[in-house]
Amino acid sequence: MSITDQALIISNLRKKYPKVEALKGVDLALPQGEIWGLLGPNGSGKSTLLKCIIGLVKPDGGEIKILGQVPSRRTKAQIAFVPEVENLYRWMTVRQAIDFTASFYEDWDEGRIPGLLEFMGLDPDKKVSSLSKGMRARLKLILALARKAPLLLLDEPFSGIDPASRDRIVEGIVRQFKSEVQSMIISTHAVGDTEQLFDGVVFLDEGTVSLQGNAEDLRDQYGKSINDLFKEVFA
Amino acid sequence: MTRFFRLLRKDLQASLLPLGFLSGITLIVMLFTRVRIATGSWPMETALAAVSLPLVFMPLWLLWQSFQTLRVEWREDTVYTLLVLPVPGWKVMLAKLAAVCIEYSVLLGVTVFGTLIFFAPQVQLAMEVLPGSLWAVRNGILVYLFSLAMLASVVIFVQLAFVVSRMVGRAQGLVALWTLFLSSWLVDLCGSLLAPLFRWLPALSLDKLFRLYEIEAGIVVNWRLASEIGSWLGILGLFVLTGVLFEHFVEVNG
Repeated sequence: MSITDQALIISNLRKKYPKVEALKGVDLALPQGEIWGLLGPNGSGKSTLLKCIIGLVKPDGGEIKILGQVPSRRTKAQIAFVPEVENLYRWMTVRQAIDFTASFYEDWDEGRIPGLLEFMGLDPDKKVSSLSKGMRARLKLILALARKAPLLLLDEPFSGIDPASRDRIVEGIVRQFKSEVQSMIISTHAVGDTEQLFDGVVFLDEGTVSLQGNAEDLRDQYGKSINDLFKEVFA
Repeated sequence: MTRFFRLLRKDLQASLLPLGFLSGITLIVMLFTRVRIATGSWPMETALAAVSLPLVFMPLWLLWQSFQTLRVEWREDTVYTLLVLPVPGWKVMLAKLAAVCIEYSVLLGVTVFGTLIFFAPQVQLAMEVLPGSLWAVRNGILVYLFSLAMLASVVIFVQLAFVVSRMVGRAQGLVALWTLFLSSWLVDLCGSLLAPLFRWLPALSLDKLFRLYEIEAGIVVNWRLASEIGSWLGILGLFVLTGVLFEHFVEVNG
């Protein structure tokens, strides 16, 4: 597979916080057009890895290439990022949050908004502060899926979400993901419900990659589902 | 520019509530003072002190606001949104700076409006002493512009101090304080070092600018611009530095 086939290449990425070494030389290659699961328990470095890619955290060493480019303002325009935290302005209405995000991205597809709002069951006139956690997670996903961004990074999109919202989000991803032009990484420690989404998986354990590869190949190789493999690796 | 105005609009919308509250309080204090004057309960000195109260608190509130507009982004995790936007850091900072300046202008406007409405007789008395309403308006605008420039420069210091404090993991308050001291010293140094380059500039006669001769005050004030320009360039440099630090060096976990 040539470099141009890779949406993302990470080599020997290291990041140390004052009290913990979050990434200890991570290598990763995300093929274009695929959805990969970044799997690992809490504190394994999943969020730090995604933050390094989008530029929210500066790595101490190693290299990141996003569609062949080092992280910059230009690559920020090519990535749709859904953080784990509540990053929405709570005083905004759903419509205002959509308009605010739309004005910064050239790849924004306003035509997707009515369908996404209807599918996710969101009222555009409602204030963000009045939405439930599940609803806010859905809104965050709308803000990412309404873009034709070549790379989507979803950090724990199912964390603390009720099953109904989780199913909606998974279905939303499946519906909106355009494998011809997009690639996606979803970090999660809840593998069960999302396993069917992944073309490939990366198991991250205490800042190092303990296993990575094509999901189907791994299932064949180990004779187990990714969920069972996850339980075994992180038992 | 659309992105800048979107950021500015966001910052203004976020401060609508405190701004409305403060404007309301200002008008209420003025109305209350007006009533006390009318009933003869307060002497003129007390009334003057009461009316000046919002004006005294305004700069303090604006300083707090310039710190708060950044702090709230971290506190509510919306900095995750700001830092992933494909916009230069200086645009984010400029939007926040412009928002504080607009808030100042609105508060000042409310104060002037309240003064004209509630203290019309007193204003009329003052106008009899002054050379004319045009003179008062002209000088009022000049004072407003000078104070706006002062406010903007102080906000730039605050923004830099806050952003630098977010680049370290601990003792952020202390780091912010030291950054304030250090940046003030640097700007001062910049003014002294660059002053020789601008010696050719004539001194600005403030008494002529404000037409003080029309009130026969006999005041002569000359403002040497040479070192001031160096300081302003220093402040501009700090602003650019803040933008660069915000965009390239600040971390969400910092």
